[in-house]
Amino acid sequence: MSTNSHPIEQEELMAYLDGELPAHQATEALSHLELCPKCQTLAADFRGVSQELMAWEVESPEVGIPSEINAALGDRLQKSDAGKVSSPRLKNRGMTSRWVWAGALALVCVAVGLKLTLSSRNRNEDRSTAYPSMASIEQYLMPDRDAEIALARSAAPQAISSDAKILVLRWRGYETAIKGTNGFVCMVERSWMSPFNSAEFWNPKVRVPMCFNPAAARSILPLTINRTQMVLAGLSKAQMIDSIKAGFDNKELPAPEPGAMCYMMSRAGYLNDALGHYVPHLMFYFPLTDKASWGADLPDSPVTLNPQFRDGPEPITEFVIPVGKWSDGTAAPVM
Amino acid sequence: MKRKTFKMIALAFFALVVALCAARPGRAADPKNPYPTSMAPLDQYLMDRNDEISLARSAAPPSISKDATVMVLGRHGYETAIEGTNGFVCNVDRSWMDQFENSPEFWNPKRRGPVCYNPQAARTVLPILFLRTKLALAGKSKAEMNEAMKAAIEKGELPAVEPGGMAYMLSKQGFLNSRCGNCAPHLMFYVPVKDAHTWGAGALGSDFPVLLSPHFNGAPEPVTEFIVPVSEWSDGTSADSGDHAH
Repeated sequence: MSTNSHPIEQEELMAYLDGELPAHQATEALSHLELCPKCQTLAADFRGVSQELMAWEVESPEVGIPSEINAALGDRLQKSDAGKVSSPRLKNRGMTSRWVWAGALALVCVAVGLKLTLSSRNRNEDRSTAYPSMASIEQYLMPDRDAEIALARSAAPQAISSDAKILVLRWRGYETAIKGTNGFVCMVERSWMSPFNSAEFWNPKVRVPMCFNPAAARSILPLTINRTQMVLAGLSKAQMIDSIKAGFDNKELPAPEPGAMCYMMSRAGYLNDALGHYVPHLMFYFPLTDKASWGADLPDSPVTLNPQFRDGPEPITEFVIPVGKWSDGTAAPVM
Repeated sequence: MKRKTFKMIALAFFALVVALCAARPGRAADPKNPYPTSMAPLDQYLMDRNDEISLARSAAPPSISKDATVMVLGRHGYETAIEGTNGFVCNVDRSWMDQFENSPEFWNPKRRGPVCYNPQAARTVLPILFLRTKLALAGKSKAEMNEAMKAAIEKGELPAVEPGGMAYMLSKQGFLNSRCGNCAPHLMFYVPVKDAHTWGAGALGSDFPVLLSPHFNGAPEPVTEFIVPVSEWSDGTSADSGDHAH
């Protein structure tokens, strides 16, 4: 990545994935990652390589050694065994054997490195077309209704979500699973709430638990419901964009109400392949607003502009503020 | 005779000391309350001008506060020390911005609360600060200030809170009260008091990510202030904990 076109360097991206960036840089990285397919690919590759290295166990030397070397080793060992008792050069043979083993180990390392590089290249090619269109609906649904309810509730502290209305996604759209009493609405968003130009717009693994406060439940949740209905109806991205624009033009879709905000504090969520469950945070919604009015995206500012609606078509400005703990009260990693 | 005269003189001196102490402004009447129960001498609330500018700016990251308007407290109220360009206004709150009820530190002259208000809050929350300060400097008691604020609100002399009003309080150098000193870095958000229960805010000192500030909240200002602790001070250093006791 060049610094001209990407605000984050590769090293920063790796630090971000390792949870080593300070909050303001992490949110900046997130903002960029959301809209940069190249960086998403790179982040996924870093994650993949990291996971493979974590999972890699050193195998016994014979496993990864080519047959020719095995055969040669066998010959050498046979000769070695034959002359074991009588040979006066036992010590030298031992040294030679150790050199062979070291060479074999080096070959294994090279082979593993090549394998990782090749699989990384393959993933690079695959990811650009990894989610080119909508997968089957089943892949977006959670078969266990109770699991989806629990995941939705994990977006906010129990004191809020236990009395909230809960929506779950079914074949025909979101349905009320539990009626609430405090005006909050919790649900699990799917990938189509990403920006329309996101590489993961159709990623069926995405699960984003959210709890909207009453103002957001009235004015932001309808946007999720709307997009979901269009997706399930099989509309194309272009059709959805046109429909959303028309919806705002003719006032069928609401503007954000003052005080609209939501909780996203689930440690069990999956925002996308690059971010995983990210960090616990709050989000605040406004009609299109200059991000400078909140000091967002400025150095050391804890406030970041969320790219979700940045390029439209919904005319909404969304600010993100990380908080220190997950909804279960455990401390979030410093990012 | 000499002993009787000595006793009389000692008694008179003691009475004089008691009378002087009682007459001194800001003296605590309750021995359990170490803070003044009325305004201390004005000089105790004032600061060196440049120090106050720096302290005010420390409320937000330099990327915000360097272009903000900065106000400092003078003998007649807040004055503009530096004209800004980004719509933010930074100043140092004094103790009379505390709540009127249950606020033993309402006149604590050590209080220094650096704040940077965003444009929306600068238009709608700063007027509360200006009016309270005007009343305090005019020598009004806490009860008189409370009544005067109520009257101003009833007459519509204070603007309604604007959507999106918020403020930065990330100064490591502030002194918000004797319980927590500079407390923890946090952001503040302002909503109409009718919306006080719509953010899922917890009580101050609780583990909630959003906390309900004791300031204002209809007593008497019709503004609810929410607090969201953040992880870093304005200088980019990490806060030790997310605990907050404003």
